[in-house]
Amino acid sequence: MTEVIGWLLDVFAEEDGITLWVLAEDGERLHLRMDFNITLYVAGDFFLLRQAWKYLREKNVRLERTARRDLFLGERDVMAVTTPDPANIQKLFADLQRQFPSLDYYDVDIPITLRFIAQTNTHLLGRCRVILNGEWVQTIEPLSSPWEIDPTPMPLRILTLAPECNPAVRKPKQLHVKYNQREYSLSLESPRPFLIGLKADLQRIDPDLILTDYGDTWLFPLLIQWSEETGIELNLNRDRERTVLTRKANSYFAYGQVTYRGAQAHLFGRWHIDRKNAMSFGEYGLEGAMEQARVTGIGVQEMARKSPGAGITAMQMLTALRNNIMVPLQKQQVEGRKTLAELIRADHGGLIYQPIIGLHGNVAQIDFSSMYPAIMVKHNISPETVGLEDAPEGLIPKTLRLLLEKRLMLKNILSDLDPRDCRVEILKARASALKWLLVVCFGYLGYKNARFGKIESHEAVTAMSRELMLQAKEVAEDMGFTVLHMYVDCLFVQQEGFHKPSDFTPLMNAIEEKTGIPIALEGVFKWVAFLASKRDARVPVPNQYFGAFQDGTLKYRGIELRRRDTTLWVRKIQLKALEILARANTPREFANRVPDVMNLMEDAKRELRIGRVPLDELVIRQRLSQTIEAYKTPSPAAHAALQLQAHGRQFAPGQSLEFLFARNGTGVHAWELEEALDSGKLDTKRYYKLLDRAIQTVIDPCKPLLMPERLL
Amino acid sequence: MGRTLVTITQLLNETEANLSAFRRTLRRSDQYIFDGLFAAARRHIAAIGQAESLLPFESALLAMLLEQSKEIAVLEQKVEELIKKNSG
Repeated sequence: MTEVIGWLLDVFAEEDGITLWVLAEDGERLHLRMDFNITLYVAGDFFLLRQAWKYLREKNVRLERTARRDLFLGERDVMAVTTPDPANIQKLFADLQRQFPSLDYYDVDIPITLRFIAQTNTHLLGRCRVILNGEWVQTIEPLSSPWEIDPTPMPLRILTLAPECNPAVRKPKQLHVKYNQREYSLSLESPRPFLIGLKADLQRIDPDLILTDYGDTWLFPLLIQWSEETGIELNLNRDRERTVLTRKANSYFAYGQVTYRGAQAHLFGRWHIDRKNAMSFGEYGLEGAMEQARVTGIGVQEMARKSPGAGITAMQMLTALRNNIMVPLQKQQVEGRKTLAELIRADHGGLIYQPIIGLHGNVAQIDFSSMYPAIMVKHNISPETVGLEDAPEGLIPKTLRLLLEKRLMLKNILSDLDPRDCRVEILKARASALKWLLVVCFGYLGYKNARFGKIESHEAVTAMSRELMLQAKEVAEDMGFTVLHMYVDCLFVQQEGFHKPSDFTPLMNAIEEKTGIPIALEGVFKWVAFLASKRDARVPVPNQYFGAFQDGTLKYRGIELRRRDTTLWVRKIQLKALEILARANTPREFANRVPDVMNLMEDAKRELRIGRVPLDELVIRQRLSQTIEAYKTPSPAAHAALQLQAHGRQFAPGQSLEFLFARNGTGVHAWELEEALDSGKLDTKRYYKLLDRAIQTVIDPCKPLLMPERLL
Repeated sequence: MGRTLVTITQLLNETEANLSAFRRTLRRSDQYIFDGLFAAARRHIAAIGQAESLLPFESALLAMLLEQSKEIAVLEQKVEELIKKNSG
């Protein structure tokens, strides 16, 4: 028997138990094995259950009659089916369901990592003590908790591989390799020396993480292909018995837009993350993905590529496993019956006020911290508790409580740190990763496929949030403040003579006391502008504003600068314009700065006219919302796609296209075309228009409301 | 996302569209005032929503009246100030 202390990298299902990869304290990477039984549950008609029992008796499973809790139906008589073969549970279940489709199945699709965590109380990337007999795990116990604020860092070996250009545009000639401080390139000209070189690097470095650009969609498929062609064996896995797991590309519709997800290549025994094919990587990077893996129990490779929704579902499953609640295969809860009047009362979102249009001085923005999750925890809102008085803590609040506390703690630490502190970046990434889990948790209460969702609980949260916002408004008004704007969980307030942050502390204390939800000061604006609709200057638009805090920091929402389809050139100029305006300390000074902004705009237009703006700053990015053939009148993006299609490129809905506005037949020139656009062909007028609009947005607020002439 | 009923914003847009023939028949100067009524209603979308009425347009009409009364109150105040200034 030997004892090992280390970090848990990954867990996989095998036909006889599971495989664990552990990064030991002494630097060794250990491949360990463990016996592991898993159990699924079947409920329903007694006669059918009896038949299923007979059917299963022939198989390598243990059967038992027992009672177990369904979240909504309570205790149920179930048949427990236990197998020592975790790798084939899906097959076992599929056979069973084919024979007995009308029975209810539970705990059939729980990821193996979650079962392992629930049983051992360890967590992914966590420290643990393992007692071994050979490579077989006898016992494993946790030495850390996923809720630790400052986990001991893992000494990960990270190998970065990136081609010098986007392989979808041009064939790369070099692969940049980076490890620690060393950087070099491998030539992609001929496969054989390249593969031999890369293989040697892999063996020498033995990385825990291969971080790539285009690894999923280009590098790994290429490596596999070359390896087959040349006969040079190259297993990218640390686990020699496994091959690379690949998943196909797909397009799907979510949150009002079509999204494209490229093919994926997953590794065993080490991780592969493709920075260009990882959903939220840009948002919080490796630190964030690791933080999510730690708290959700989904492996790092998966978590980096999946939406936070998958993470929160995993956390709910984990809570269910730990509390002996069965996880149904499908959502069972449909919307309850309501009268029209009840529907009208219930079917609302968060409270959104129309702001008071124009420029305002000395305005404080105060935000409820993680308002929706805080409501779920404080008011015990969960699909099985909604509508019940004095229910015990529900599944959702139980899942969220620690997550919420951890995020608040991280935020508090961050607010005390100097912004230049080296820990800030990492803590921010981790706080942001947790924030996304909290954000989607609310959506999943009402999501049609969420297993622990029920629309009434979703509605209960928004109803409570509207009530709390109104309470906050009343408290503010009682204390003499004007509420300029309210948006779901934040308020903009103003009062004559109030300008220091501390002036707003009594208000925040009063709101916190009244609502029971923590509230924080985002900052005090020297001035902030709430915008009017472009269509009618008398109509305010919620959540479109820009302003300068007292330290000169800008904050802007909903304007061109925030939109991904705005060209870099326009964004740069608009930001410069805002920086000029940010020097103004009052709304009056703001107006004095407007001529400077106009000069800036004229200069920018001249630069464009004489061809001094780099073309890449003028690139427009738009998404294809459907297949090219489906367009009756092609959008600019579709025109660009057609130009590229002529050169053999294929496009799926959800993919983005880049192009320039040009004076040719279609009005666009696809950016990825081989031949560059002649700069004389650039549609400068079209770009002027875009810039005019963006500048108008920032100077409009100081214009008084003008009535058309000869009105009355 | 995922809502069953139309939102108040949608409702106002639809009502405005249904009244397009009415609006078109008005003189241009009156059209501007007419648009102003809808602009007034749009300033109170949150309140119209919170009213949870089966006939939300009733609340929208009330919002228009409210903005009008507000404007009258502001004008009254201005007139009073002017009178005071002139008599003083």
